[in-house]
Amino acid sequence: MVLRLDGVTKVFGAVRALDGASLEVERGEIFTLLGPSGCGKTTTLRLVAGLEHPDAGEIALRGRVVASVPRRVFVAPHKRNLGMVFQSYAIWPHMNVFENVAYPLRLRGVKRSVVAEKVTRVLDLVGLAGLDERGATLLSGGQMQRLALCRALVYEPDLLLLDEPFSNLDAKLREQMRVELKVLQRRLGVTVLFVTHDQIEALSLSDRIAVMQRGRVEQVGAPRELYERPASAFVRDFLGQTVVLRGVVREPGPRGGTITVALDGALAGSMLRGHAGPAAALAAGAPAHLAIRPENIEVAGDGRSTPEANTLTGTIDALLFVGDRYEARVVLGGEQRILMLLPRAREWHEGQRLQLTFPPQTVSVWPA
Amino acid sequence: MTTATPAVHRRRVPRIETQAVLCTVVLGIVAFCVVFPVLLVMLQSFQVAPPGQPAKYGLDGWRAAFDEPGLRAALLNTLKVTFVRQLLSLPLAVLIAWLLARTDLPGRRWLEFAFWAAFFLPSFTVTLSWILLLDPEYGLINTSLARLVGTAPFNIYSFWGIVWVHVLTGSLTVKVILLTPAFRHMNASFEEASRVAGASTLRTALRITVPVMAPVILSVLLLGTMVSLQTFEVEQVLGLPFRFFVFSTMIYDLLVTRVPRYDAATALAVVILAAMLPLVLAQQWLTRGRRYTTLTGQFQNQPHRLGRWRAPALALVLALVSIVLGVPVVFALLGTFMKLFGFFHIADPWTLNNWKTVLTDELFLRSLHNTVVLAVGTAVAAVVVHSLIAYIAVRTRYAGRRALDFISWLPFTVPGIILGLALLWLFLGVEMLKPLYGTTTLLIVAGVIAGMPLGVQIIKSGLLQLGSELEEASRIAGASWWATYRRIVLRLMAPTLMAVAMITFVGAARNIGNFALLTTSANRPLSILQIDYIAQRKFEEAVVVACIIMFISLAGALLARLLGLRSGLG
Repeated sequence: MVLRLDGVTKVFGAVRALDGASLEVERGEIFTLLGPSGCGKTTTLRLVAGLEHPDAGEIALRGRVVASVPRRVFVAPHKRNLGMVFQSYAIWPHMNVFENVAYPLRLRGVKRSVVAEKVTRVLDLVGLAGLDERGATLLSGGQMQRLALCRALVYEPDLLLLDEPFSNLDAKLREQMRVELKVLQRRLGVTVLFVTHDQIEALSLSDRIAVMQRGRVEQVGAPRELYERPASAFVRDFLGQTVVLRGVVREPGPRGGTITVALDGALAGSMLRGHAGPAAALAAGAPAHLAIRPENIEVAGDGRSTPEANTLTGTIDALLFVGDRYEARVVLGGEQRILMLLPRAREWHEGQRLQLTFPPQTVSVWPA
Repeated sequence: MTTATPAVHRRRVPRIETQAVLCTVVLGIVAFCVVFPVLLVMLQSFQVAPPGQPAKYGLDGWRAAFDEPGLRAALLNTLKVTFVRQLLSLPLAVLIAWLLARTDLPGRRWLEFAFWAAFFLPSFTVTLSWILLLDPEYGLINTSLARLVGTAPFNIYSFWGIVWVHVLTGSLTVKVILLTPAFRHMNASFEEASRVAGASTLRTALRITVPVMAPVILSVLLLGTMVSLQTFEVEQVLGLPFRFFVFSTMIYDLLVTRVPRYDAATALAVVILAAMLPLVLAQQWLTRGRRYTTLTGQFQNQPHRLGRWRAPALALVLALVSIVLGVPVVFALLGTFMKLFGFFHIADPWTLNNWKTVLTDELFLRSLHNTVVLAVGTAVAAVVVHSLIAYIAVRTRYAGRRALDFISWLPFTVPGIILGLALLWLFLGVEMLKPLYGTTTLLIVAGVIAGMPLGVQIIKSGLLQLGSELEEASRIAGASWWATYRRIVLRLMAPTLMAVAMITFVGAARNIGNFALLTTSANRPLSILQIDYIAQRKFEEAVVVACIIMFISLAGALLARLLGLRSGLG
């Protein structure tokens, strides 16, 4: 284990930025802190770095306690052997590329010849070879990003901290850097603690993700696990798109089996079946939410209803062509609007009636 | 690795590290040199025994200060001068700052530098050159007008004469140099949105730019008011002939009579301090948490086109530049070549003798040496002290950082002459410090303290623009706090620090108020020498010295500008 947080709390004024968070990061993995802004993910990173003092709890790096309120321990940031890439990259403008990367090595008393060799090797690794003498302020955004990465990796830190490192790049470059980072991490085997609010970044890069909300860790797990089996409504709605329909439990059904829900409001009179979500069993008559990912809804274009299938009818309200597919807002029962993903292979038009099938194994039922 | 009990590197009370110790040392020294003298002043106002006799405490000083018949007049005069100065200079300064920062006025960079240079002109020198022009009897403008139209309308020795010189020396230039960078840094999208919505340039300036900048303008106004309450030289030279006193000259008057009335003088100083404190607090409140964001290439502001107003605007600014910069420099220089200062109409008025006399005077050479040592020493010491204070106030979580920040403002609230007096008591009263009396070191201490509010302020805004991630990156890369301060902060701040060095260098070279009571014949600098020449009615020699100080100041201004000082408020 590289990093362990145990009940760490950080208070800013009246705000509990981090509220008793506990985490463990294993060696060689990319561990991501994901959440909306203000959820405490950056605070967590800064606490690990030693840029903030915790108000409660304990932080250990490779088995060595670096910050602990009960034991009155605090190790200064420069004695933690961490690497960090800042959102603004924090490239020192008064040094050139070589000097920026050599700085941490010189602080560690590395011999001159070794410094040159290590810097050259790491610059080569990220494709900055030959730019040694370039002034740091003359680099492009992507180059600065790579330089910041070099500077954080050159002394082989125990843990690499990344604070929203891609947020200042444009969309194309961001995708490219995401792939590069993953390849690089797999090659070097460095442990990474990554902070982002971008779920695509988190899902695509991480080995494991901790979803955070209001200073607490909501759920920790592998990307697919979180996406397919969210433990709470917050995680379900934060990761990816979710269509939520309201209703009342009609038939609770056997444990692990299907539950039948009678829909409310404009869809009153319709029934849908789904399987139980992670919460406790639902009794008949209890208010419930049905959740399904848009990509799991199946479409039959002609609007014919077959009563035994798990179906609803709807009308395309707005149609957006987004390149690889269509996104459509579909009105159900004249009132409820849901998001749908429609394949490009067929023709669609606004006002078109759709027959939507909700496969029961992809519908989950949650207490309201 | 299994979860074995982690090894604990025990470090008791870890937050008290070198950093906290250093902060406390800085706070202690600054408090001793600034707060202690201020307390001494307060205490002294209750000490009623005449100098040389055992201390006796009472309210006589306060009573005397308030019974003094001139006091009410001095109070009123101070308020009147302050109010009129601000009233005249603020709208003009806002207009000029807007023209320089947000329009296509030709040569605006050079014009801005002209105001910058004018700010550095010693007010004493400026006053002398305006006497040459506006003296009721001999003033060049008056004599010319008398010949042309038969009347000599102007009298520099008057309320309006004092206001005129003030507006041109401090009030206008300081506001322009503080407001121009602030206007330049304003996010252009506010203005662009207004233009797109259909507003004209003028309407946008009045309805968007000025309101958006209101906090900065108000803060500059407060600073200007504080500076106004401080002034000394102009009133001393121009007010004395017609018995016009303001607070500071009144205090000086009480101190230089045959039996100095320290109690009454310090009582008045406490009144000024009490009046200043709310202004300082208001100023700090206005600038709290201001986002000093550095401008990047992305937000390059498009200047407004002035169109047909370009020529009149240029004419206005050029006229002002020639009045605030041209006139003082030319006439101070002319004055040095006059046989009789101010007498243009005598036959063959010109001579080189003044320069010869001064430059060969043993007294002058010693003073020049003193000034150079003093100014360089002050600049070096100020950079170290001011940058430490600014860094602690902005970047650390040290418990006393707010106190330190506040203390750095205190020298602004005490009239220079009183601060000098307080330092005199401090250095004569503490046995260990007594040997420093009469040395340049004492003057350096005074110079560092006098320059503290501005120096700390400039470095603070520079640090806020720096962004803390550059330092944090260094900490994580393995550098200690001290190594980061040396290798990252000081390097990146070098231009700002050099500029502060130049400003304090110039400040020390021309400072009169703080040094007047601290100098002896051994450590007398040029600024005091010129006053001594005036006291001996040697105007010609005085103006030569004033001119030399002026050129030292202008050289400093140019250097500071070349080093890239762009700091202002906002």
